[in-house]
Order: sequence, then structure tokens, then C-alpha cells
Amino acid sequence: MLVLIRKARIVDPQSEFNGKIVDLLIEHGLIKTIAASLDVKAEQVIDIPGLHISPGWVDVFADYREPGFEHKETIESGLNAAAAGGFTNVLLGPNTQPALSTKSSIQYVAQKAKGHIVSLHPMGAITQNTDGKDLAEMMDMHTYGALAFTDGWKPVQNAGLMLKALEYVRSFKGTVIQIPLDNALSAGGLMHEGPISTSLGMAGIPALAETLMVHRDIELLRYTNSKLHISGVSTAQSLELIKKAKSEGLALSCSVTPYHLALTDEALHSYNSVYKVSPPLRSESDRQALIAGLADGTIDCIASHHRPQEWDAKAREFEYASDGMNVQENAFSIIWNAVGKQLSLEKLVQLLSINPRKIFGLPDAVIAEKNKLDFTIFTPGEKSTLSEANIKSMSRNNPFIGKELNGKVLGIINQTNVYLNQ
Amino acid sequence: MSLSVKHLLGIKELNREDIEQIFLTADNFKQVLQRPIKRVPTLRDTTVVNLFFENSTRTRLSFELAEKRLSADTINFAVSNSSVSKGETLIDTVNNILAMKVDMVVMRHSASGAPWFLSQHVDASIINAGDGTNEHPTQALLDAYSIREKLGDLKGKHITIVGDIMHSRVALSNIFCLNKLGAEVTVSGPPTLIPKHIEALGVRVEYNLKKALEWCDVANVLRIQLERQHKPLFSTLREYALYYGVNKQMLDSLGKEILIMHPGPINRGVEINSDVADSKQSIILDQVENGVAIRMAVIYLLSGKRDMGD
Repeated sequence: MLVLIRKARIVDPQSEFNGKIVDLLIEHGLIKTIAASLDVKAEQVIDIPGLHISPGWVDVFADYREPGFEHKETIESGLNAAAAGGFTNVLLGPNTQPALSTKSSIQYVAQKAKGHIVSLHPMGAITQNTDGKDLAEMMDMHTYGALAFTDGWKPVQNAGLMLKALEYVRSFKGTVIQIPLDNALSAGGLMHEGPISTSLGMAGIPALAETLMVHRDIELLRYTNSKLHISGVSTAQSLELIKKAKSEGLALSCSVTPYHLALTDEALHSYNSVYKVSPPLRSESDRQALIAGLADGTIDCIASHHRPQEWDAKAREFEYASDGMNVQENAFSIIWNAVGKQLSLEKLVQLLSINPRKIFGLPDAVIAEKNKLDFTIFTPGEKSTLSEANIKSMSRNNPFIGKELNGKVLGIINQTNVYLNQ
Repeated sequence: MSLSVKHLLGIKELNREDIEQIFLTADNFKQVLQRPIKRVPTLRDTTVVNLFFENSTRTRLSFELAEKRLSADTINFAVSNSSVSKGETLIDTVNNILAMKVDMVVMRHSASGAPWFLSQHVDASIINAGDGTNEHPTQALLDAYSIREKLGDLKGKHITIVGDIMHSRVALSNIFCLNKLGAEVTVSGPPTLIPKHIEALGVRVEYNLKKALEWCDVANVLRIQLERQHKPLFSTLREYALYYGVNKQMLDSLGKEILIMHPGPINRGVEINSDVADSKQSIILDQVENGVAIRMAVIYLLSGKRDMGD
């Protein structure tokens, strides 16, 4: 099928057309022609004012809950949410039942995702069943498609075990992902520790609980000379440590969530459990440091930390409610709305697509003739509102539902298919 | 007469006028409580449920008595004989009770913010009788009311709160209430029991008990709540009693007479010695007495009734 995209502004620092407005003709999974103006008859014409096109976006950490928790999110509903959010590639967390800690569970989710327009890359667990005790069969999982290794929401507490994990993955140049939190320091905590948690009478999770583990893991990384990615970094002090370690040449990278860029612990004033996330929403000064970290290159990627929860899991007393926010679908708008004034579009595309592809070894998606299709189309100048009726995810734990935000995702073009939001 | 709020979730949400109005109303009810017939017909068409998801004796009794003296119908619900143990959610539990035409909910709950959560899901007025480590607003009101009774206007008065500030909803509500009334507050206790960011709430911190007592007009001594401590926060009760227990010898050494308060129940010989708890400086039993009048005032003001019946 011949598809013509008209008057698209290219946002791709690696493309010779970067910054230009062009027509693109695509056919059989490839870009056929790029030119200032094409006079061709195509079966599908996409002609939307203000349309931008960039290499396809990568979400470096999302949870779908199949197998085990299909009432929260299936692989299909999750991938539909990813497509609506403009993501062509998703790294899937192991937070399933059983956890993704064997070859067969990696194969199972890969099989489930087959044929979908979004490419799914399962991540294997570091430890068996993410119990934090014994190493999982990471070599085998790697062979069968696990892209990286993480225990997800259960960061490895034992330093000796973490050291072994970092060493173990060196045999295949693997990457270990950690969402750092020291359980001994965060025990009982419900939100970021600070003046607001004190005034709300809620036990705090000190920034130190994250920072101390970041520090530990950097030293373990230095010792093992392996590869480490810190997902969902949330504190200013963590960023300082990461910045310094990167300047020393360690193979360290990190990502931030959309909601840590948009929200702070101020949101907790109403004890609304939709804001209960891990790592917790931090202070305004942390948020500002994260925004600065995007601009100065300390932060490499965006992780949606998409964590769907059914209504019942959230409609509870804050302490008993489940963690997580379900923001993959409007991640771009949340980010663009929060940082659009401080960040160039080109920089954001770097974070959403170019950096994660390099870090996790995914193929480049340069916008050039004869290249394969893996693109996101969007209109940063337009506003959008995610409505309850349109949501693709099975869960609704997203405080941005119904809110008008800057930036709109039009859809994705991946493999041989085109997906357009309604 | 009414308050600026529909629920009493915490002192945080009240303004100074609300607090003063509660005090004036309590003055009237306190007079009622001195009469041979200690009862007014004001709430005879109102039903109040006392929902206690956490053990309580004195607060529940005080609320129940306040409701009865207002002629309200009361029902009591305690977690031990409830369907919560069968997995029912808080919203379901409360909606089931409200379906039986109950007008107000008095709730104690172990989770901070639970009354907030409930207020977003049900229509009835909610009175917080203590939520987790957050607030215990009626306790703070009766504490401030008891100080006012002894010392007059609270503006400029010095209050020291002693003990486990970290886990105490009484401390937090007291801090908000006393600040709103213009009093100055110091908290004192072992550093591990004082939240790191407590000064952001406008209080002083003094780890030395004697200095904290020398500074104050009133000491509110909190109960050591061993059941609330998830982590080892101090060494032994013996050491706590030695360094943070209030005893008569220390009070006599201050060179002035301060008032002693305690929200109860008392651990005699731990945070307070008997020679202090039972001394003439102690207003612990006045607090208990005032508790009924304060709770009558809160229930009455939130009920929307206009006739105090006195």
C-alpha cells in the first residue's frame, strides 16, 4: 500500500532533512521517497496541519500485567495504549505472575505481542521470580529475546547479589536496570519525606533512600565495569551522582518518568491515591533538577513507568492503595506540557528515541529514503485531552485524564503498518 | 451558627473563627453538663455512627456520651465484630451503614487520610476521631480549650509537647490548633521521635527536656505508643523514663508552676510519674471532662441544627 504524508516537519537530528518540511511516500515497510513536494496518487494520504515526524519513540519501562493480572492490563491493551501514546517500541517490566524470570515466560509475552504494530521487548528478572535471592537464568533469557534485566519495583537490596548480577550480564554485554530504593530507609514510607509529608502526618520516604542506592550501584558498576541503567530517577542528589559517574566514563544511563517532570509532593494534599507512585513524587526543587537534567544530557531517556491498576486497587485508603500511574497514553503531552518551554523538540526526540535505541541496542530509525518504517507522528502545537471514553488501557489510574495538555500524538508508523489516533 | 467546613477532618482545614466558635459552643454545653439533667433534645432526629477501625476506649466513650447528651441515636461499630475482617472495603462498609439512614459518621482509622478519602465518596458529615499518624482534631480542640479555661487567651502562651512526636496525631493536631490560636509551641523528645522537617510547621525543637519545660507555661506529655513503632526508635523504656519522663523533682526545680496535660491513657512511670499525674498542676481529668463538651459542640455545629436546646 502506498501512503503519502504531506507537509511533515522532520524532527530527527540524524537525518539530512532535520528541520525541513517535506512530503514522504512510503510503501512495503520502507520510505520510498522524501521530497519537498510529491505529486503522487496514494491509497492513503495523511495531511494534517502542523504534523511533525520523528524516529519512533521508545518507552524504556512499562508494566503490562499479563500473565497473572489481566484485569489490570493485557499485553494487547497495553500495546494499544503504547501506540496511542506514540511509542513504537516498549521495554516491558517483569512484574507479572509468574514474574518474567525464565526463557518460557519471555517467549510467552513475545508470542502474545507478535503481529502488533508496536514492538515489545521483554525485560527479564535479575533474580528468580524477582525474590532478590538467587540469580535468574539471564543468559538463557537473553538468548530468547530479553533486552535488559531488572527486578522492577523490587530493586535488588543485597549489594553482593547486585554485584554478581552486573558481572553475570557482561558475558553477553547485557544491561541491568534498577529503580533504586533502599528498603531499610523507605520502610513504612508513603510519600516523599519533607515538610508536606510532615504536615499530612504521612510517613516519609527520604530522598536518601534513592540516593544511597544510586551511590552504591555506581560503585558496583565501577567495580564490575558492566552496564547499568537507573530508571525513574527522582531526586536532585541522584542526578548529581549520575552526572559525575558519567563524566568518569562509566557505562551508566538513566531515565525519568513523565509524572516526575510534571508533578510534585504538593499533589498529595488531598490524600488522593492516584498520586501514590514509586519512586514517590518529590519536591519542586527535585523537579527543577530533573528538568535541568533533561537539558544538560544527564538524563538519557523517558520511562513511562506505566503501571495500570484497576479502580478497586486505587479506591482505598492511601496507605492500602496500590502504587503506580497509568500514563503511557499521554506521556508525550504530560512531558511537553511540563517542560515544553525549557526543552527543544529536537532534544525531546533525542530522549524519546535516539538515546534509548543506542543504550539498549535497538535499530536506528533515521528518516531517510530506503530506510525501514519506525516513526511517530505528532503535532506539538496542538492541544489534546485524553478522555475516559477514548482510553486504550484497561485501567484509569491517570490524573491527567480529562485535562487539556499541550501537544498531541497523531499516531505511529511501524513495520508495515500505520496507526492513527481518532 | 456553622463552621466553614462540612466535615471535621483535621485542624488543618479549620480557621481561627471555627475554633473560637467551637469553644463558645462548648462553653454552653459545659453548663448543660453541670445540670441535674445533663441532656438537650437538639439532635433527637439525628443518628450518629461511631466507626472505630482501631481500638479506643476513652475517645469512643467520650463521643458516645456527647451524642447521647445531645439526644442523638448512636450506633457503635468496632472492627473486631465487623465485616472488614471479611475483606469489605471502607466505602462499602460506610455506604451500608448510611443506607440505614445514618446522618453522621465519627471515624477512627489506622490509615492517615482515611477520613479524607471517605469524605470524597459519601455524603454524610464525617468527624475524624483519629487517623493514623495524621490528626486527632477533637483532642487538640479539647486540649486548647482546657488551657484556655486555666490560662485565658492562648495568644503568646508557651506550650511544650513532650514525647513521640513522630507517631502522634495528637501532637500534629495540637501544633496546628495552637498555632492558629497564636500560641508558641516547642516539641521535645529523643531526636528519633521528632520528624526531621517538623520545624517547617512553625515549632521549635528542644531535645533537652528540662530546658523545654523551663520555657513553657504548659507541658502536654504524650503517651509512648509502642504499638506504632515500626523501627527501633529508642533504646529502652528505662532510658526513656530517665531522660524524658516528667517527674515531680524536675517540676519543682523549674522555679515556676506549669500546667501538666496528657491525652491518656497514661503509662505511669514511663512518660509521666504518678506524683505529677495526680498533682494539683495536672489538668488531665479536666481534659477528659472538657472532651465531652467539645465533642458535643463539634457534632452540633456540623449537624446544621440551629437550636442548642438550652
